[in-house]
Amino acid sequence: MTKYLGINRLSKLFQIIQEAGGLKQTYLKLYRNDDLKIGTLVGIDKYGNKYFENPYYFYGRNRWIEFPQHVGMDYDGSQIPAEWYGWMHYKTDLPPTRDGCRPKYKWIADHSENLSGTKESYMPYSTTPPKVEAWDPKAKK
Amino acid sequence: MIRAPLVKALGALGSPTHQIASRAVRTSAIVAQTPAKAPDTIEVFVDDIPVQVLPGTTVLQAAAQIGVEIPRFCYHERLAVAGNCRMCLVEVEKSPKPVAACAMPVMKGWRIKTNSEMTRKAREGVMEFLLMNHPLDCPICDQGGECDLQDQAMAFGSDRSRFTDINYTGKRAVEDKDIGPLVKTIMTRCIHCTRCIRFASEIAGVDDLGTTGRGNDMQIGTYVEKLFLTELSGNVIDLCPVGALTNKPYSFVARPWEIRKVSSIDVLDAVGSNIVISTRTNEVLRILPRENEDVNEEWLADKSRFACDGLKRQRLVAPMVRMPNGELQAVEWESALIAVAKALQKANGQIAGVAGQLADVEAMVALKDLINRLEGETLVTEQDFIKGSGTDVRANYLLNSNIAGLEEADAVLLVGTNPRYEAPLVNTRLRKAYVHNELQIASIGPKIDLSYSHDNLGSDASLIKDVCSGSHAFSKVLEGAKKPAIIIGADILERSDGAAIHATIAEYCEKLKKPDWNPFNVLQNNAAQVGAYDVGYQPGLQRINQAQPKVLVLLNADAGKLTREQLPKDCFVVYIGSHGDNGASIADAVLPGAAYTEKQATYVNTEGRAQQTLPGVSPPGMAREDWKILRALSEVTGTPLGYDTLDELRTRLEDIAPHLTRLGKLEKASFNELSPKTATSKSISGGAIDVKQKELREYFMTDAISRASPTMAKCISAVNKQQRQDEAKQSVAI
Repeated sequence: MTKYLGINRLSKLFQIIQEAGGLKQTYLKLYRNDDLKIGTLVGIDKYGNKYFENPYYFYGRNRWIEFPQHVGMDYDGSQIPAEWYGWMHYKTDLPPTRDGCRPKYKWIADHSENLSGTKESYMPYSTTPPKVEAWDPKAKK
Repeated sequence: MIRAPLVKALGALGSPTHQIASRAVRTSAIVAQTPAKAPDTIEVFVDDIPVQVLPGTTVLQAAAQIGVEIPRFCYHERLAVAGNCRMCLVEVEKSPKPVAACAMPVMKGWRIKTNSEMTRKAREGVMEFLLMNHPLDCPICDQGGECDLQDQAMAFGSDRSRFTDINYTGKRAVEDKDIGPLVKTIMTRCIHCTRCIRFASEIAGVDDLGTTGRGNDMQIGTYVEKLFLTELSGNVIDLCPVGALTNKPYSFVARPWEIRKVSSIDVLDAVGSNIVISTRTNEVLRILPRENEDVNEEWLADKSRFACDGLKRQRLVAPMVRMPNGELQAVEWESALIAVAKALQKANGQIAGVAGQLADVEAMVALKDLINRLEGETLVTEQDFIKGSGTDVRANYLLNSNIAGLEEADAVLLVGTNPRYEAPLVNTRLRKAYVHNELQIASIGPKIDLSYSHDNLGSDASLIKDVCSGSHAFSKVLEGAKKPAIIIGADILERSDGAAIHATIAEYCEKLKKPDWNPFNVLQNNAAQVGAYDVGYQPGLQRINQAQPKVLVLLNADAGKLTREQLPKDCFVVYIGSHGDNGASIADAVLPGAAYTEKQATYVNTEGRAQQTLPGVSPPGMAREDWKILRALSEVTGTPLGYDTLDELRTRLEDIAPHLTRLGKLEKASFNELSPKTATSKSISGGAIDVKQKELREYFMTDAISRASPTMAKCISAVNKQQRQDEAKQSVAI
């Protein structure tokens, strides 16, 4: 009956608002993530990314990430470090927090996000000589 | 004495074909000179069309008269006939064999068939043999697209070949020769037309190239490994009908169909050779000669052809102003113009202008107008000339006998000039007259190699007086000649007794003068020189020293004759030009101008012919055309010049000197103008007469563009290396 009247959906909504911490927080969360979901917190990595899972949603949408507040709206998928990548993309069901046999070498480089479009992005330099060489008054003959 | 190579020498001995052949070499100028006989023409029929020709005309020339072009490889209008490629075989009725059209003189009533079955078969056979021994490397050949063999194989060749390499032995292959940094050789492609050999020995006058071996083993080369480097070596590239001799700096750069071609004028010497600038994507790729019978025929000197890579180096791409720390710094146009205008306004009319060797007439007029409006008077050229009022009379500084006219001369005296390097294409005319017109040449000056034998009278300046007083042996030759000429180098007129030399020779030339022939010639070295005198510039930098200007404007003045020490300490030097060279390095403000390939500008050559360059590419960076810079500057100084477009500026040129806008036309100095009254004293103060360019290595770098050219630097080091090798060999032999 409750299902039929959609009351369960309403209660879910109240649950989500409660989890988010009030109406304002819910609005902000929706604004930032374009989505409102509740799930179990599977783990937090060292960059502050929170990983959630809720099998209530169908496959492909049942694992998600909440980026830390300090990145603001400048988040993107490349901020997911390599150890969480496999879990996020369903390559494995074992998150790194529970997988004991992941290798941990000290030479493994720290994760870096894709810098395209930022100041630090890679800019290849031209190897072709300029068509016209300008005169340099400082160069002595 | 045998002057002409083998063919002409044989002509004197008898064989009728050779006699005609050697006559064919002579051009119309010489034909015109021979006393007019009754025009007893004979009639021949080319493809059943009747043609009236002079006796001795070859089949090929007769066909050309009615516009039938017979294919050829070895035949060239300006070279002796060799007749060895056999491509020009045509059928003549009642002749059992096809005849070589280039070497066979026509007989009366001959019926020549240029498109008969027999002719076509003969051509196809010759083409098949040529292609059998020619590599199929057109896709990687630099000649591809402008290759005579490609074109003629398409037009006249057979559609199949019997050549099958049944034993897989490969085609004939020949080792490449290293003949210098300008001409690349791929000798396997050579079809043995011997055009390059004939050019070298007939036109350039160096017997360096020749053949070794016979038949299939024949090779073109220099016999021993040696440089083929003359001031004209680039022309063998144009002559080569296939890709055996190609342009080394241009190799693998572009295909002819990608190129934009712009007809222009060369300014690296005073001849004003007509050129074609090949450009692609706003870059000058190569320079080729353009035919102009009155100036350069179809040849081009090496500096003009190969120094074009200097247009891409040492360029001024932004205006610069000298900062308080003494360094030139790139600035925007606005601040540069304001800095210059302020200096000009403060100078109170103490302004001077210097035009260098590459300055165009438009810019010189704009500069003159600007300085005159600011009440300055001193306008000079870097190159000096005789003192006094020498430039008032145009005949005093022109090559009055004309470049084309010199090949009719029969006695020439060179005074303090080396035309071989100062004006290579004037020298080819002299050589042509020497070979075909029994020209007698003597020189006063150092002993130099002019590529033809001449009588060096000595280098003492007093010899001029001897010759001009008629007491010297050569005076008799000059006085007896039908068309004598005396050519004075522009550099010796810079001497303190230059005026006396000039006056002495001018007076003597009054005596030698013939109706319609002015024997007095000054050979200028700089493209800008005649134009500068025409618009009223004064020669010589000593006027600058006298004027002690507060602002000095250098227009392309890069010769390095002017140093900072000669100028007053507070003198503000402005440089307008294209290259960072001697001028820009002493300047307080540098305004980047356009080089000759980047502007439409007028230049007047040494015989007084105004010609214009056309822009092939746009000026690099912020550089602008020189006259536009001066026009903009006049706006900032508050004395705007009265022309906004090139047409309006040309109208101003016409007001000053109408001949400057009659482009391409020779404007002779009026005949009786030549006045010996220019000199105040006529005492020639002895002392040896010298020329600046004595050897080939001194030829390559003479101006800002060629000094910036890496190819010219390579030429100099190649010449030096060759000389070291020769010296080493000689010391071993001793």
